[in-house]
Amino acid sequence: MKRQEIRILTMIIRELSLVMLMNNHDTFSVTLEKRPKETRFILKTDTLADELLTRMQEKVNREREMEVETYGWELVGDVDKQSEFEILGLLIDYMEVEETDGEMVLTFVRKSMYRE
Amino acid sequence: MHEMMFKTLLKPRTALILMFLILFAMAFFFDDASTIYHGYIAILKSPSILISDYLEIGGLGATLFNVATILLINVIMISFLKTKMSGPVFAGILTIAGFSFFGKNIFNTIPIYVGIYLYARLQKLDFKSFLIVVLFSTGISPVVSFMIFGIDWSGWFRLAPFWNYWIGIPAGVLVGIFTGFVLPALSAHTIRFHKGYNLYNIGFAMGILSMLFSALFRSFRAIDLDQGGPTSEAYHAELMVLTIVLSLIFIAIAYINDPRVHKKYIGLMKSSGRLVSDFIRDYGRSVSMLNVGIMGLLCALVLWLLGFEINGPMMGAILTVMGFGAFGKHPRNCLPVMLGAYLAVVLTDYTFDGIGMMIAILFVTAASPIAGRYGVLIGILAGFIHVAITPLALVFQEGGFNLYNNGFAAGFVAALMVPFLEALTKKNNEEEEE
Repeated sequence: MKRQEIRILTMIIRELSLVMLMNNHDTFSVTLEKRPKETRFILKTDTLADELLTRMQEKVNREREMEVETYGWELVGDVDKQSEFEILGLLIDYMEVEETDGEMVLTFVRKSMYRE
Repeated sequence: MHEMMFKTLLKPRTALILMFLILFAMAFFFDDASTIYHGYIAILKSPSILISDYLEIGGLGATLFNVATILLINVIMISFLKTKMSGPVFAGILTIAGFSFFGKNIFNTIPIYVGIYLYARLQKLDFKSFLIVVLFSTGISPVVSFMIFGIDWSGWFRLAPFWNYWIGIPAGVLVGIFTGFVLPALSAHTIRFHKGYNLYNIGFAMGILSMLFSALFRSFRAIDLDQGGPTSEAYHAELMVLTIVLSLIFIAIAYINDPRVHKKYIGLMKSSGRLVSDFIRDYGRSVSMLNVGIMGLLCALVLWLLGFEINGPMMGAILTVMGFGAFGKHPRNCLPVMLGAYLAVVLTDYTFDGIGMMIAILFVTAASPIAGRYGVLIGILAGFIHVAITPLALVFQEGGFNLYNNGFAAGFVAALMVPFLEALTKKNNEEEEE
């Protein structure tokens, strides 16, 4: 894996953690699953405010733009409440939401674009 | 059916093609083909460093021809690359068009594109992934022209005069390729320095490169780094009309696409404008085009109120501000920094006698996200500091290779103010929560 891709992946984890903490979610976990053609970030939490989930879906499900990613990826993980998910949404292809046994599971999928 | 086709034609890309046609037609309306040809050759042969007003060097017809051709080439390039017309892409194209009034031409931009292409190959990524860097990269294109037309190579090496081009062209092309090659990585890094609060991020990255070039050239005393020239205000009326007409076209396109577009405009105005704020993606193309037109009219109004006449650099500033109407700028975040810049000139020993301070009133909007995020008073302060820093930023880049000097200055303004403001804001939030 290219070093730049590794740095982007770690910054996505940082931003997910930052957003959760800034929105007063104290208990959560982020797991990374590297697959051949994509990387999955699995965020598990017991509760998630509806408003935050809607904001996440709105920003994250937008089309990924490589030209914006190569330009602005260094800003990931450096957000405040006004700009959360703005850059993250550009790095994630889509997200899935699942609710099981009182636990929210959010899966963020980033497809591999960088050729080895 | 017809209505649908009509609306499809009124996309940002179509607006840019319309703009090309207007500029191209205007070139031949004001000058004949022979005058344009000779003026255009003079433009291509000029060192093009800050400040080289192409209106003074080649005349109005040749300058408009230069702007129109550069605009067309870049619109064709993005169509060929099948790239979506996003906010940054739109801003990049209008910025290129603007700076084609004073520093960019077909000759000095291509080597930089080649450098970025080689970097993309090295990174095993598509060239179009670097399109934003490509479009803004040519702010440092004067270094190519300077190497070819600004240095007396034959005198330096004591050779026959014809050696000037034999040495200058390869040297200029190689330096251009090198610049393009390092710029993508450098600009991705510099964005963290100002945390996205300087809209001219690549201008900041190029300022650092320009410092390197200045330092190297200054090591050789034989090289004359003071080659900037006068500006021409002879075409003020024509360019003011052009600004107003283009602005009205963008506003008309917005209203044809969506007659109720003004109702959505408030949403865009609430945005801080911090990088990477793609207004076309976030608010739609109609609202963005309305903002582009309003920003153009705002520029015209400010210049009229201050009694400034439009020259090449000023027209470049207007088109850049209009372009960024799709990528971070709007009246709410721009007016405070413009007011701050104005106050900095009238309250200090600076004056509006030189072109530097005049264009700073428009280019200060690079720091507009600071006003968008932290409010009017902080915005005014940012504008004030920007004007104080801009002349110093130019000293570090002796030679004038970076056309985006205000972007270099705005990077320092944001880096100075934002960490402190962020700390303060966090504290306020904590107090509110407690």
